[in-house]
Amino acid sequence: MSDQTTPTVDNLREIAEQVWSAYLDPEGIRPLMLGETSEASSGVSASVSLTGAWHGHVVVTCSSEAARNAAAAFLAMETTEVSDEDMTDVMGELANIVGGNVKSMLPAATAVSLPHVVTGAANRFPTTRQICELAGTWLDEPFSISMWQSRELAEVPAA
Amino acid sequence: MRLILRRIVGQLGFEVADAEDGRAALDLLAGMENVPDLALVDWNMPNMNGLEFVTAAREDARLREMTLVMVTTESEQSHIVRALAAGAHEYVIKPFTSEAMIEKLALLGLVPTGANT
Amino acid sequence: MTLSPSDFAYVAGLVRRESAIVLTPGKEYLVEARLLPVARQAGVASVAEFLGILQRRPDQNAHRSVVDALTTNETSWFRDREPFTALTDVVLPELVTSRISTRSLRVWSAACSSGQEPYSLAMTLQQFLPAGWRYQITGTDISTEMIKRASAGEFSQVEVNRGLPVQLLVHHFARSGTGWKVTPALRENITFQQMNLTAPLPPMGAFDVIFLRNVLIYFDVETKRTVLRNVSRLLRPDGWLFLGAAETTIGVDESFERVAIGRTSAYRPRATVPAGTLGKG
Repeated sequence: MSDQTTPTVDNLREIAEQVWSAYLDPEGIRPLMLGETSEASSGVSASVSLTGAWHGHVVVTCSSEAARNAAAAFLAMETTEVSDEDMTDVMGELANIVGGNVKSMLPAATAVSLPHVVTGAANRFPTTRQICELAGTWLDEPFSISMWQSRELAEVPAA
Repeated sequence: MRLILRRIVGQLGFEVADAEDGRAALDLLAGMENVPDLALVDWNMPNMNGLEFVTAAREDARLREMTLVMVTTESEQSHIVRALAAGAHEYVIKPFTSEAMIEKLALLGLVPTGANT
Repeated sequence: MTLSPSDFAYVAGLVRRESAIVLTPGKEYLVEARLLPVARQAGVASVAEFLGILQRRPDQNAHRSVVDALTTNETSWFRDREPFTALTDVVLPELVTSRISTRSLRVWSAACSSGQEPYSLAMTLQQFLPAGWRYQITGTDISTEMIKRASAGEFSQVEVNRGLPVQLLVHHFARSGTGWKVTPALRENITFQQMNLTAPLPPMGAFDVIFLRNVLIYFDVETKRTVLRNVSRLLRPDGWLFLGAAETTIGVDESFERVAIGRTSAYRPRATVPAGTLGKG
């Protein structure tokens, strides 16, 4: 499998720009600010799995505060009106949209799963390695989008 | 996503009903007296996916007049072509802005003139 | 550091003339945030200073940057729809008759920006013209940056959702990275070129249709006259000129007559001889 089909952090950035411009920052004044970020100790982590011709996960992780802001933006509500279910739904949808756009860059026979959302801990995927990560802050809260590939397949030698 | 779409089309004056997957949607439609003018359909759903729903809706004489718009992350050319071949009228790729959704609906003649955009 | 009411009103006026966007008071933060990069790029430290300079010395290029910065993602395909409907309903059928000897058409998109207009014109012509007909589209813009973008023909997911029927998307575009790129077949009959409409224009041959939309609004009356004079020299005597929704030649250039088509208008050189006896078309 050619490395050229593996999405890069630049691709993640392009996808993130689209998502921010459509849902989280339509006015273009509160972008995702890239840079070093400390891992949120308790937050929200939403992921979708990719299977088929490519195996791995796309993960969207952020602090609870950031998830609340995201839900408020997505659903055009005040942050005080956002319920836990809203946060889960919106984080899941973000993972779905990012994962779906990543998938369309991978070989055609790749499928994307429904999103899986975890609160209070980061999604952990043993036997995978991180391919790329877009990390930074949004509204001063940690936010990251990362891609993980299943280690077993990544180490299969070329035929 | 259903909440977001509810908000966008609600502002255009639509009455909105929603269902979790294609099968639930067909069941819901079977019980309705008036068939909706528009269905916004995701692709990846359990039980019956969006493509299967579109196919079923087009084969049902009662549902044939309903405008079908796919709203999904599936953005490969082959997916779009299959959806159109199955009978979808339009296709919105996520992420989309609300202006884009409204413009697509306007292209289909579904936005009453003078609606708040 | 907020914008003064008069500065804000100035920007709001500029933006309203160009797009459907109304900047209501309360959106000062938006203007500040979006214009700061524009001011910096112009080598000026603050938005207020930048706007001060702009109001004292109006500059077409800077006007465009201001409006572009506040209307990103607003560019739609087949913008306003009616001019394109006018093309297929009235203009192209007439040209297909009058150009039967050459079976070719030339179209100029004279403020093509990121390219949606010339590509929309190309899609329209490809769909409408009978087999055996050729067309050539020239896209020009004052901004070299825009010409580069338009020439590359790549658009994001969000951009292709704007007013582009999906059947045209799958027919004329292919997936490219995270976005879409126009097919070679759509691209090949279009040339892109940087051009300043207020200066003497290079020779370009005559056009059958010219789209000069939402450019004149940036100019004072004298400059409008210059631009229309420059442009009309490149329009066939029986050609068609399309302006933006809020624009007109009336009171500016009497050499054009306005023709109503559906819910829009086009402008044609005033015939000095009755129609039907015009020279070689």
